[in-house]
Amino acid sequence: MLRKTTYILTILLSISLSAQNDVLFDAGNKSYNEGNYQDAIESYETILASGVHSSELYFNLGNSYYKLNRIAPSIYYYEKALQLSPKNKDIKNNLAFAQNMTIDDIEIVPDIGISRIGKNIINIFNFDTWAMFSIGLIMVFAILFLGYYFSSATTKKRFAFVVSSTTIILAIVCLFFAYQKYQFAQKDKPAIVFAKETDVKTDPNIRSEVAFTLHEGTKVQVLEAYDENWTKIKLVDGKTGWIPSEDIKLLNNI
Amino acid sequence: MKLKLLLITFLITCFASAQVTFEAKVSKKKLGINERLRIDFVMNKDGDNFNPPSFENFTIVGGPSQTISTQWLNGVKKSSKTYTYFLAPKKRGTFTIGQSTIEIEGEIYKTLPVNIAVTAAIDKPKDPNDPNYIASQNIHLVAEVSKTNPYLNEAITVVYKLYVSPNTGIRTWRELDNPRYADFWSQNINIKELKQVNTTYKGEDYRYVILRKTVLYPQKTGKLNIEPLTLDIEVQVPTNRRDIFGSRLMKMVSRTVAAGNRTINVKPLPEVGKPLDFSGAVGSFDFEVSTNKSQLKATEALQATIKVSGKGNLKLFEIPKLTLPSSLEVYEPEHSEKISTSLAGMQGQISDTYTIVPSYQGNYPIPSVSFSYFDLNTKKYKTITSDELVVNVNEGPLNNEADTENSTSTLNKEPIVQSGGQFMSFKTKTNFISKEPSYFFKSKLFWTLLLVPFLVIPLAIFLRHKKEERDSDVVGNKIRAANKLAKKYLSEAKKTLGSKEAFYNAMERALHNYLKSKLHIETSDFSKDKIEELLTQKSVSADAITEFIDLLKSCELARYTPFSNVEMQQDYSKAARVISVIDKQIKR
Repeated sequence: MLRKTTYILTILLSISLSAQNDVLFDAGNKSYNEGNYQDAIESYETILASGVHSSELYFNLGNSYYKLNRIAPSIYYYEKALQLSPKNKDIKNNLAFAQNMTIDDIEIVPDIGISRIGKNIINIFNFDTWAMFSIGLIMVFAILFLGYYFSSATTKKRFAFVVSSTTIILAIVCLFFAYQKYQFAQKDKPAIVFAKETDVKTDPNIRSEVAFTLHEGTKVQVLEAYDENWTKIKLVDGKTGWIPSEDIKLLNNI
Repeated sequence: MKLKLLLITFLITCFASAQVTFEAKVSKKKLGINERLRIDFVMNKDGDNFNPPSFENFTIVGGPSQTISTQWLNGVKKSSKTYTYFLAPKKRGTFTIGQSTIEIEGEIYKTLPVNIAVTAAIDKPKDPNDPNYIASQNIHLVAEVSKTNPYLNEAITVVYKLYVSPNTGIRTWRELDNPRYADFWSQNINIKELKQVNTTYKGEDYRYVILRKTVLYPQKTGKLNIEPLTLDIEVQVPTNRRDIFGSRLMKMVSRTVAAGNRTINVKPLPEVGKPLDFSGAVGSFDFEVSTNKSQLKATEALQATIKVSGKGNLKLFEIPKLTLPSSLEVYEPEHSEKISTSLAGMQGQISDTYTIVPSYQGNYPIPSVSFSYFDLNTKKYKTITSDELVVNVNEGPLNNEADTENSTSTLNKEPIVQSGGQFMSFKTKTNFISKEPSYFFKSKLFWTLLLVPFLVIPLAIFLRHKKEERDSDVVGNKIRAANKLAKKYLSEAKKTLGSKEAFYNAMERALHNYLKSKLHIETSDFSKDKIEELLTQKSVSADAITEFIDLLKSCELARYTPFSNVEMQQDYSKAARVISVIDKQIKR
C-alpha cells in the first residue's frame, strides 16, 4: 500500500515538475524575446537545477549569454547543446558567432592517414548506436546460422553460411567500434576557459614558467588533474600545460 | 770687576758668533689644516750628510731644495746653506718636527725640535687685487636641482645659473665639459635668449643668467651623481688703474668655473599595492580606449585608439596592448606622440591606433584594457580600466561558411545568401530528458541481448534434434497421435471419468463432434447406418467402423445399465484408439 502511494506520488511529482519546467521554459523564452536576457538565464538555469536538460535549453542559454556578450558561458552552453544533438546546424551556426568573439587563435593540427579515416568512421555514430548495430547483426547471424544448420538444399546452405559469417564479422567490427568510441568518449574531457585571461604553466605551481596564455572561451582538452587546484590541458594544436582548475569548466561532469 | 765680567761676556759672544750654527726655521708655528708650512734648515757652513727629520703627520709637497748663498761684507765672508721643505699637515693637532742632523767639519750638529699647531681650515688670505681672485669671488656657477630625493621616474629639473657680480663683466663663455646624465633620461630645454636677472647672492647684489635647463627622469634608484657643468669664462675684472678719463681699466681674466657635483637620492617606487600590469608610468594620467565606429560591415576598416594623456614620463613607458578576438584582422598599431617638455616635465598625450578589419559578421568585443601608473600627488598606484566595447559587424559572410567553402569562386557562384548567415534565435519547443545519462552500451540489457543469440543457437539445435527423434519413433508417434486426438475430443469425457451419466454423455457428444469435423456433415442425423455408410465411403476399414458403432451403442446402453469404472476406462481407451485409427484411414 505504502509502496503504491509513493509510486503514485513520484509519478505525480514528476508530471508536475515537467509541467513546471515547461512553464519556466516559456517564461525564459518570453524574457529572451523581450530582451531581459538575465531573467531568461535565471529561468533556464532553474530548469537545469531540477535535473533535466535538453539541447534546445542549452541552445537558448547560449544565445542569452551571447546577447550579454559573455563569451565563455555562451560557448560552454552551445557545446553542451551540441553534445546532445551533434548534427544541429543552428547550434553550429551560433557557436561560430560566439567563437568569433574569442581571442585565442589556435591552429588545428589535422590527423593524417589511416588513423583519420578510422576516427571518422568511428565518429559517425555514438557508442550506443554501434552497440545496437552489433546486437542486431548478431541476431541476424543467429537466424542465418540456424538456417544454414537446418536447411538441406546446398545452394541455400551455402548462401546462409556466407551471409552469416559476414554478419558475425560485421558484428565484431561494430562491437569493436563501440568499444573504441566508448574509449574516445571516456578520454574526451573537453573544458571551456572561463577566466578572462589565464597563464598556462609548465608545472602545476605558481612559480613555474608561463608556457602560454589563454583567453576566455577557448576549448581545451583535460588530460589529468593534480592537487585539485591544477589541471593539465591540451590544446587542439598539441600544446600542453597546467592551468588553475578554477579557470576552466568541464563540459562533462565526471 | 764688573767691567771685567762684561768684557768676558762680550768676548764669548764674539767667539760664539764665529761658531757653526745649524737651525730649523719654520714659516709659522700655527697654521690651518688647509695651509702649507715652509721649513728651512739653515747652516752657516757647508755641511754634508744632511739627514732630515721624519715628517710624520705631514706630507711633503715640495722640496727638499738647496740654496747656497755666499756674501762678502766688509771683507768678511758670510755663507749659508739652506734645505727647504714645503709641508702640508695631514690632520689637526700639535705636532713636533723632530731633529735633523748634519755633519760639518767632522762634527755632527742637530737642530732643536719644533712644535707646530695645526688648527681648523682658515680662509686663505688672498691678495684682494689679484684679478684671478676677484674673478673667483665674483663669478659663481650654481646648479639648482628641484628635488634631491625624487621617486624613480619622477621628473626633476636642473637649472644652471651663472651669478655675476655687478662690478665684473663676462666677455664670452664656452662649455668645457658637457655633463652626461648617465642614469637619467634627460631632455634639455632650449633657452632662446639669455636673460639677465637682478638678484642677491649670499646677501650681495648679483645678476644671473640661466645658462641651461634640463629635465631629468631618474632611471635607477639609489644615489645618483649629476656630473658638473664646467665653463671657461673670460671675465672682465676691474683694476686699480684708471684711464685718463678716470674710469677703471678692466683686465681680462680667463677663468674656469664648475657647478659642483650634485648627488640625488632616488627613491624606488613602493612595492605595496604595485599592480601587476604596472609598466613604469609615473605622473598623473588619463586613459581611454575608443573606436571610431560601433557598427560596420565586414571588410570595412575600423580604428581603435588607446590613448594616455596627462603629465609624467610619457616617453618612458609602453602603452598597454589591445587584445582582440582572433577572428579580427588587426594591423600593427600606429604610435603617435604629442608631448611638450617644460620645466614641470613632459606633458601631452601618446596613443596607439589599431586598424581592424573584420572579415565575418557578428559581435566582437574589444576587451577592457587597464593602465596603471604611480600618482605622485597621492603617492599611490592608480589603475584606470577602460570600458569593454562591442563592435557590431552586421553584414558579411559567416565564419563557419568560410571554413567549409574556402574558395571565393564558389561563393561567387552562389550569390543567394542562405538564411544560415544570421544569428539563430531561440527555440520555442523542447523535450526535457533527465540529466543523468543512461547508456545502452555495457548495460545489463546490452550484455543479455549480446549473449542470447549465442544461447539460442544450441537451444534451437537441441530442440530440432528432439523433434527428429520423435519423428523417427513410429509406434510412439501413433500413440501420440491418438493421444492428441483423444485430448482434442475426449478431454471432457476424461474429466468426467467415474461418473457414469456424464461420462457417456460426453463420450457420445465427443464421438459425434469428431465425425462432424472429420466428415464435414452439418446434420444431426447420426443414425448408425448413416455413419456406417459415410465411413465406408471414406474407405474406413470395417473393423474400425464396427468398433465405432459398438462404442456408440454402449453409450446408449450405459444410460440404462450399470457400468463399472473399469469398463468406463476401457471404453475411453477404446474410443481413443478408434478415433485415431479412423483418423488415419480417413486421411488416406
